[in-house]
Amino acid sequence: MNKTLNRRDFIKTMSATTIGVATVASGITLTTFASTNKVPVTNEKRWGMLIDTNKLTEADIDGMVSACQKEQGWGSELYSTGNQKPGWIKKLKVKDKATGKVSNLALMCQHCEEPPCVDVCPTNASMKREDGIVLVDKHLCIGCRYCMMACPYDARSFVHETLRNQKEHMPRGKGTVESCTMCVHKVDKGEVPACVASVNSDAVIFGDLYDVSSKINQTLKTVQSAQIRADLNLNTGIRYSGI
Amino acid sequence: MNRFLIVFLTLLISSAFAHTNEHANLGEQASSIKASGKVFHESISIIRKIHPEFLRHKRDKTLRQGVRTDEYSLKGCVSCHVNKDKTNNQYRSVDKKGQFCSDCHEQVSVSLDCFTCHRTIPKEGSL
Ligand code: SF4
Ligand code: SF4
Repeated sequence: MNKTLNRRDFIKTMSATTIGVATVASGITLTTFASTNKVPVTNEKRWGMLIDTNKLTEADIDGMVSACQKEQGWGSELYSTGNQKPGWIKKLKVKDKATGKVSNLALMCQHCEEPPCVDVCPTNASMKREDGIVLVDKHLCIGCRYCMMACPYDARSFVHETLRNQKEHMPRGKGTVESCTMCVHKVDKGEVPACVASVNSDAVIFGDLYDVSSKINQTLKTVQSAQIRADLNLNTGIRYSGI
Repeated sequence: MNRFLIVFLTLLISSAFAHTNEHANLGEQASSIKASGKVFHESISIIRKIHPEFLRHKRDKTLRQGVRTDEYSLKGCVSCHVNKDKTNNQYRSVDKKGQFCSDCHEQVSVSLDCFTCHRTIPKEGSL
């Protein structure tokens, strides 16, 4: 067999025999990855979330936080203390001073359409994808933390210690800033973010805000909803109802 | 300037290979693919010379544009060039001394930054 195969042909040939894992030689397996998204994302979509605080229980929020930790691999830092600890998603209690009504919020990066973090970043590391997901390019982040100061939602945290064995899909490293990625690695495969999947009710709806047939778009048309700090005109991708 | 750097690095790398003749530690899957006569990288000399450029190109496309194909993904490099410690059946990190990545980088004294953030062994739970 002296026909030369390029990598793609090789993978194709191998995955014709098995799906996901192809056996190369006895006892040795070659893992192939689901190849999705061969074309760049466009601004025809805008990913968003609608969180119904009336339906979302405190236990739901705790579940969302741990689902995020498990998926992305943050939260078990050994040496970071107090405010150094990362927090991609938090449980927040808000009280209406007039009525005394207390609501529990799950607060993460709001994936602003006009993100202040992107505005202030001196290296273009803070960036917004065409489909509205705001990310930190850690290849470019110099750790100045300007974005952390600029974010009105305290959504970002800084990695203070050397890490090993990060998640394969979520590189994280000392000296860089990080925040909710809306589980972009899952969304690009057509899945929903881990926090959304962890909630058993329809208290959290994820989807394309622009798609008129999407559940989130339909729901937003019929229920009252709000942006947190709507006065800042950031047009957030995360919306709340019941507050 | 960059061209000179590449030529210089190539010389260094080829002297590293001349020194060891063959890569001492290709990694288990990579070795078995090679032994089977299949060609994985279209040109070994190109992948040796400009693998940082491939990775840089891929990282920008993946992160900024959401293009998630296999070609030149760091995950792919790791899963193929990693070795298992036979005594405890655990993966050895690719950046550890004597392993695929660090072997060359050490030889040519070029720092290996990818793995301060990226995982050095294949996907969790795949052991
Ligand atoms: S919530 Fe904060 S981190 Fe997220 S996009 Fe808005 S400003 Fe940036
Ligand atoms: S910490 Fe990183 S992402 Fe944030 S503003 Fe500075 S360079 Fe940009």
